[in-house]
Amino acid sequence: MAHAALSVRNLTKQFAVGQSMVAAVDDVSFDVRGGEFFTMLGPSGCGKTTTLRVIAGLEQATSGSIDVDGRDFMTVPPQRRNIGMVFQSYALFPHLTIFENVAYGLRLRALPADEIRRRVAATLSLLQLEPYASRHPAALSGGQQQRVSIARALVYEPTMLLLDEPLANLDAKLRVMMREEIRSLQRRLGITTLYVTHDQEEATAVSDRLAVFDRGRLIQLGAPEDIYARPQTLFVADFIGRANFLPVRLSIAGSPASGVTLRNGATLRPGREVRLEGAEAATLASADDAMLMIRPEHLALDAAEGTIACRVLRIQLLGGLIRYTVQTDASPADILVEVTRTLRGIDEGGGAFLRIPPADAVLYHR
Amino acid sequence: MPHETASVAAVKRVAYSRDWAAWALGAGVVLMTAVFLVYPLGNAMLLAFVKNGEAPSWTSMTLANFARFFTAASYQRALWNSVYSGLAATLLATAIALPMAYAVARIEMPYRGLISAMTVVPLISPPFIGAYAWIILLGKNGTITQWIHGLTGWTLPTIYGPPGVVLALALSYFPYVFLIVQGALAAADPHIEEAARMAGASRARILRTVTAPLVFPAIAAAMLIVFIKAIGDFGVPSILGGEFQVLPTLIYYQIHGYFNLNASSAIAMVNVLLTLVAMLALAWINRHWNFVTVGGTSRAAARHASRGARAFGNLYCWLVIFVAILPQLVIALASFAGRWPGTMLPEAYTLDHYRSVWSQLTNPIVNSLILSGVATAVCIVFGTVTAYASARDRLRARWALDLTIMLPFVLPGLVVGVAYLTAFNSGPLVLTGTAIILVLAYFTRRVAFVFRSVAAAIAQIDPKLEDASTICGAGWGATMRRVMVPLAAPAILAGAILVFSTLIGEISATVLLYSAKWKTISIAIYELVLGDQLAQASAIGTITTVMTLLLVLLASRLAGKNMAELFR
Repeated sequence: MAHAALSVRNLTKQFAVGQSMVAAVDDVSFDVRGGEFFTMLGPSGCGKTTTLRVIAGLEQATSGSIDVDGRDFMTVPPQRRNIGMVFQSYALFPHLTIFENVAYGLRLRALPADEIRRRVAATLSLLQLEPYASRHPAALSGGQQQRVSIARALVYEPTMLLLDEPLANLDAKLRVMMREEIRSLQRRLGITTLYVTHDQEEATAVSDRLAVFDRGRLIQLGAPEDIYARPQTLFVADFIGRANFLPVRLSIAGSPASGVTLRNGATLRPGREVRLEGAEAATLASADDAMLMIRPEHLALDAAEGTIACRVLRIQLLGGLIRYTVQTDASPADILVEVTRTLRGIDEGGGAFLRIPPADAVLYHR
Repeated sequence: MPHETASVAAVKRVAYSRDWAAWALGAGVVLMTAVFLVYPLGNAMLLAFVKNGEAPSWTSMTLANFARFFTAASYQRALWNSVYSGLAATLLATAIALPMAYAVARIEMPYRGLISAMTVVPLISPPFIGAYAWIILLGKNGTITQWIHGLTGWTLPTIYGPPGVVLALALSYFPYVFLIVQGALAAADPHIEEAARMAGASRARILRTVTAPLVFPAIAAAMLIVFIKAIGDFGVPSILGGEFQVLPTLIYYQIHGYFNLNASSAIAMVNVLLTLVAMLALAWINRHWNFVTVGGTSRAAARHASRGARAFGNLYCWLVIFVAILPQLVIALASFAGRWPGTMLPEAYTLDHYRSVWSQLTNPIVNSLILSGVATAVCIVFGTVTAYASARDRLRARWALDLTIMLPFVLPGLVVGVAYLTAFNSGPLVLTGTAIILVLAYFTRRVAFVFRSVAAAIAQIDPKLEDASTICGAGWGATMRRVMVPLAAPAILAGAILVFSTLIGEISATVLLYSAKWKTISIAIYELVLGDQLAQASAIGTITTVMTLLLVLLASRLAGKNMAELFR
């Protein structure tokens, strides 16, 4: 029964802050398919953890519905929802051995002792934890504790697995390694998984689908590559991957298709255009103001010619990438260009030209 | 998908957030709090405003009982004496403790831990036991009195009266000043003093301009605590006071002499008022003068290592400790003394006193053990549940819960005794003369030990542990049983042992509430002292002190701290 399908409709959770009510989760709706690895992503305070905790039953929603396989989940107490949960701080019971920690859920289900022993042994071996069975959590490293946490959640074969920023307390290399382990484990078991993180690289690396949250609202939902290629708001464009933003003017007011004029006078016809709404639309001063977004890996630098003249501020070596930070009069902010090979003739402090391929540019307008 | 029927508006209120177990426990706690904490104190307050013999009602309210403070000389003297002895004891205690705190924190001395541990001894011995030790030493036929007379021909002034009371109080409570100030000095960021040294300041100047201001809030707080304890003490002034009446002894007089509950309630109110003023000052200091200099380094401040400093440190500390535990040593000696006619040491030793205690006085010992034991059990259950509620639930009325538990703890024992006497002497629930009233009074006065200990422990426990347990399938009761109680067990046990050990010697509330059938160790000692049977009183006193000491040692082992930290 590990392929549970989740359906969240109009979920809202409000808190009293002083005299007023603040919505930590604001009218959120989404579906998670059976066996899917579904990630909720966003900056701190965006409501993703609160949503997860409401689905877990650790908090109560103000309104909305949560259905699992068609059954109303809200009337079920958290201890009877048969879900597994992994916490950021691991939350292992310090007074119990690893074996007892993992066996905890099984003991509560009053299973016979040899059944418990068998299943705990199997789960420990699944996560390569057999040598640590008789130790206490304090004797284990962070990565090992995290695996115990996962083992404890999986041992009673829950219908869903919930993970709340499980890797945040680990060092960078371990984080990358553990997320791959979690992903392959999930694929092997086929368990419906809800994952919460603020790390967009982590989210895009492991998820089947991604839900981007901001200030309590679900902004965009889709596969990682879709969200990266077609961000529907400036926020999403900036949050996922890196984005360069150039303020531009529509060549003909109100007509995005007519192309844009950059601040340095150059014109181009962006490959895609997205209509902004609400607060983001209000950041554009008038009907012919707009924002051009282009990813650093789509830009090119040339020593001799290009769309915009620029000055190279910094050249950084980042593992397999070289990042050029340039300054132009087409944009108030510095522009990032990322290439895989060093460019000849372009040095720090020197001048260069930025080449913008129109097809990869996205126009955000009112 | 069939979602049209799903609830879209307000979610059905599901009462699964806490099991019935929690509701039942919570209801029990609220009931107990109302009947045994709020009602007695409230009732006593009410009675203070009603004349003796009249039924309390809105029309019979009067300030006549309080008016006595303006008309009766005995009342005025008692009030003045309380304030005077409280202040004097506080100043003396501070003068004794400050150099000692500085020495332990800032001078390189061996056995610093032992010194700290030994300062706890005066705290856990019932103060009145030490009081009559001073009679043995400095009374008319006292050892020291006779020795000095033989040496110089002087006759020492009498130990009875203000000097004796102030001395005994100061020596009982100075450890509070020592522990708190020493703790503050130890926790202060050493870099501040080091910076002053690098700027060229001399050691003396640093002490005056840097160290002293930093620890002044701690000193002030400690002084207030000693004052609160001193004005609430009954045992010492009743044994050493003589004609010197203070508010607690005045209360005792009003009840034992006249059974005037109204007058004694009024006096208790005034005593409480003094206590509250001191507590408010304490709270103000904690809020406005919190110089928490928690540095990033765990290195301690530099210590004086010169031979002169070390000599002074050792001499002073061990001298103070000797004087502080002298009463207990004297009592122990007296318990084995066959003949002790005022010489330095007894002339003959015997076990007769212990034998007579064993044959005649097993009853009070058994009573004390039973009453303290039952009260401790109640404290454990009540204290743990309320500590959980206070540490975990975001109750809006949490301050009310904290106050209700801490108030009887800081109030003078006599006041709690008066409250219980007035509340359960008549009316719907009559408990006077029973064991129950003693158990409940004990519980009221000491539950704060368990409450504070467990609340602190629970605050350290990651709340996610409860979430994890719940998700794994545990209801609230199972989570408490399998996770919270095991993790809080050392704190529960430490609190319980503190409760039990300090109840064995409790006198302030007992003296008003005991009956012939339920005499305790402290009452037995009290009666023996008043009957001038000091040797036998010493025997029981020594047994009590040793028992208490061992239990507190056990508690500190269980809590994983040293003895001194338990009392901070």
